[in-house]
Amino acid sequence: MPQSEEITLSKVRGGDRDAFRALVDQHARTVFRLAYRMTGNETDAEDMVQETFLRAWKQIGKFDGRATFGTWLHRICTNCALDHLRLRQRRQAAQPAYHAGEDQSDPVALVAAESPSPERLAMSSQISAILGPALEELTEMERAAFILRHYEGMGIEEISVELGVQPGAAKHSVFRAVQKLRRVLEPAMANSR
Amino acid sequence: MKHLTEEDLVLLYYSEPEAPAHGQLHLRDCPECRGAAESLALTLNVCSEWVVPEPDAELGRSVWAQIAPQLEVQGGSHAKRHWARHLWGRPRPWLWVAPALLALLLGTFYLGRVSKRVESPVMAGLSNAARQRILAISLADHLDRAEMLLTEISNAGDSGAADISSARYRAQDMVDEGRLMRQSLAEQGDTATLALVDEVERFLLEMANSPDNANAAEVQSIRQRIDSGSLLFKVRIIESNLRTEGQKS
Ligand SMILES: [Zn+2]
Repeated sequence: MPQSEEITLSKVRGGDRDAFRALVDQHARTVFRLAYRMTGNETDAEDMVQETFLRAWKQIGKFDGRATFGTWLHRICTNCALDHLRLRQRRQAAQPAYHAGEDQSDPVALVAAESPSPERLAMSSQISAILGPALEELTEMERAAFILRHYEGMGIEEISVELGVQPGAAKHSVFRAVQKLRRVLEPAMANSR
Repeated sequence: MKHLTEEDLVLLYYSEPEAPAHGQLHLRDCPECRGAAESLALTLNVCSEWVVPEPDAELGRSVWAQIAPQLEVQGGSHAKRHWARHLWGRPRPWLWVAPALLALLLGTFYLGRVSKRVESPVMAGLSNAARQRILAISLADHLDRAEMLLTEISNAGDSGAADISSARYRAQDMVDEGRLMRQSLAEQGDTATLALVDEVERFLLEMANSPDNANAAEVQSIRQRIDSGSLLFKVRIIESNLRTEGQKS
């Protein structure tokens, strides 16, 4: 860990809010990117960024410095995401008539509505029009494992630590996620050709 | 020849250490598995095209504005630690949802009145009693947030100068919100609550206009005025009355 980060962290442990604010400034955008993938929309992602930093402040005494602060924060955000996805799945189970496009938390609708027009984003919104609902088919564990593997570039071993499961379970979550995504994406890709 | 499984292909795609050692060799020699690997890669590459919208450059600042009032005091032995813990110890996310709802309700309500009483269908269907309940609840929420802000300032100056910037931004928002409330209280002739909301607004304005890094003397002066006028106490009493009123059916 860089020495400057060590100094900031020891101030935070002593209750220094300014020092913590500096960490929020430094890491908020990185946490947002992960939170966005996990939730699929900006509103939930922003809530999750807040929740992540609130938990970090509360648990700072448990941070042992073996990982960097960024890695530790990443783990907290993943845990927030798991809680959030569990809750969302429970809510959706209680509302069987869920139609993509009508719900404001639907990633497809949001990305399509909010993306400006650069080509990459246009492409991205087409992709997410298919990917969003496909990701909704995954369990929270499968989604989290896939996001961490595919977008965050983490290895199976690291994912198992982050999710607090055995490596075998992490590996199977990634496999099942890939299988389910292929089942939805491949016919859609064939149709669009 | 034993073909590669889909799991093998996933491990190979991600270059996992667990991927079969002979995998790449097999792919070179086996068209069937190569086809399967290409099809998997195509789908996963498509997933990579999903980009995250660039977060706002001010994200850190807005996150801080939202979480700062909820941070528990930790370490040290602040004189007001217990009180701060009581207030901030439990997250109250509804407090940050309430302003939007409140603005919507009050906005439609009052804009409706001044602009020839054209009201939204939602508000038009409400009885006077229902409107008063909405106002009471909105006011209680407004005062609750004022209370959080005042307490934050009250606790801020313990160790000299304090960064009160997040409180300052919220104060600014609340000044506008309070204006709508005062207008309605004046119309209803509720002078006691109006006087309190006025008093709160003077603090909010003072806060909104103070520098981000107020020096110890400035923070001390605001604190003393909060403490000497027992403003927090009055806010709590009126807020609690309004909550009771808002719950009457
Ligand atoms: Zn083969």
